[in-house]
Amino acid sequence: MPADLIRRAQLGDRVAFEELYRAHVGRVYALCLRLTADRALAEERTQDAFVRAWERLATFRGESTFSSWLYRLTVNEVLLGRRAERRREQRIVTSEDPAALERPREAAGGLALDLEGAVAALPPGAREVFVLHDVEGYRHEEIAQLTGIAVGTSKAQLFRARRLLREALNR
Amino acid sequence: MMCPHMEAALNEYVDGTLTARDRVSVEAHLADCAACRAAVAELRSLAAAAASLPTTIEPGRDLWGAIEPRIAQRATWNFQRLRRRAALAAAAVLVVALGVYRLLPTSTVHYRPAGWAAVEADFDRASDDLSRTLATERDRLRPETVALLERNLAVIDAAIAESRAALARDPGNAELHRLFTAAARQKVELLRWAARAAAS
Repeated sequence: MPADLIRRAQLGDRVAFEELYRAHVGRVYALCLRLTADRALAEERTQDAFVRAWERLATFRGESTFSSWLYRLTVNEVLLGRRAERRREQRIVTSEDPAALERPREAAGGLALDLEGAVAALPPGAREVFVLHDVEGYRHEEIAQLTGIAVGTSKAQLFRARRLLREALNR
Repeated sequence: MMCPHMEAALNEYVDGTLTARDRVSVEAHLADCAACRAAVAELRSLAAAAASLPTTIEPGRDLWGAIEPRIAQRATWNFQRLRRRAALAAAAVLVVALGVYRLLPTSTVHYRPAGWAAVEADFDRASDDLSRTLATERDRLRPETVALLERNLAVIDAAIAESRAALARDPGNAELHRLFTAAARQKVELLRWAARAAAS
């Protein structure tokens, strides 16, 4: 990614920022879609991520690559949105149906039916850790930091996700 | 189906995160357990498939049309927040200045309005020089004055930092230049007053 483009965007050049958007939207959307398993929500989170990136561009100092900085910021946006969503769900789910909190969403339309579909059907906590660890390559320590869960919980969710995926793919 | 008690160990084995001793132990188990060997093969295959998923998926519609107006709106919101911060800083300076003013002989207080270049020069030079002077003379100020001074310098510094960040995004914005100038001038004047108060 040309440094000049990033510098221009940092100086408030929206045309330069649009170029950055065009270059990264596919990756950001893929990340949002896999983390949320919901096409409409993924579009919303993608927009949120780019708005947040624009607001925080001045804090990007090139210590990591721009793409790493942007994808980490995207993960944060999705997880923050998920926490807010979970709080809303907890307010409306009755005590007779606590399992609804972990009930997987319907697989997102447009995803391949094999691994992508199976990942989309995972319970949210297991899906997030699987996507971050096995698809995006984050370490458990980083996932713990990003999600606010313990390293041990991150591992447990990953192993659970892999078990559920193997069962789904072997059916 | 793998041995249930081996789930964590086999996952860590595949991830390469086991200690050498645990790895040897798992390999000994694998030598005798076909089910766990099959599970390891599946876990490896799953990890490889996950890592080779497409890195990009294009959204079904162009999202820039929704992002662009939000960015423009956010720029306005930031500007309003900045203006409130500048007003707060100005009020803080007034409080400190009045406090310091009472410590000074009347003849030593001079207010000299300065233009952009003078303020900029003041800010570069005076911010360093006066801070240094104040650091050596601060013992002569009352502790409560020093505490108030530091608190309000922090407010002004935050306003200056926000102005600079906004200017970095929108360097041609005349209002932002005025806000930066006001904040810089406030800091210089506050430091100047405080240094004089300490020296008198």
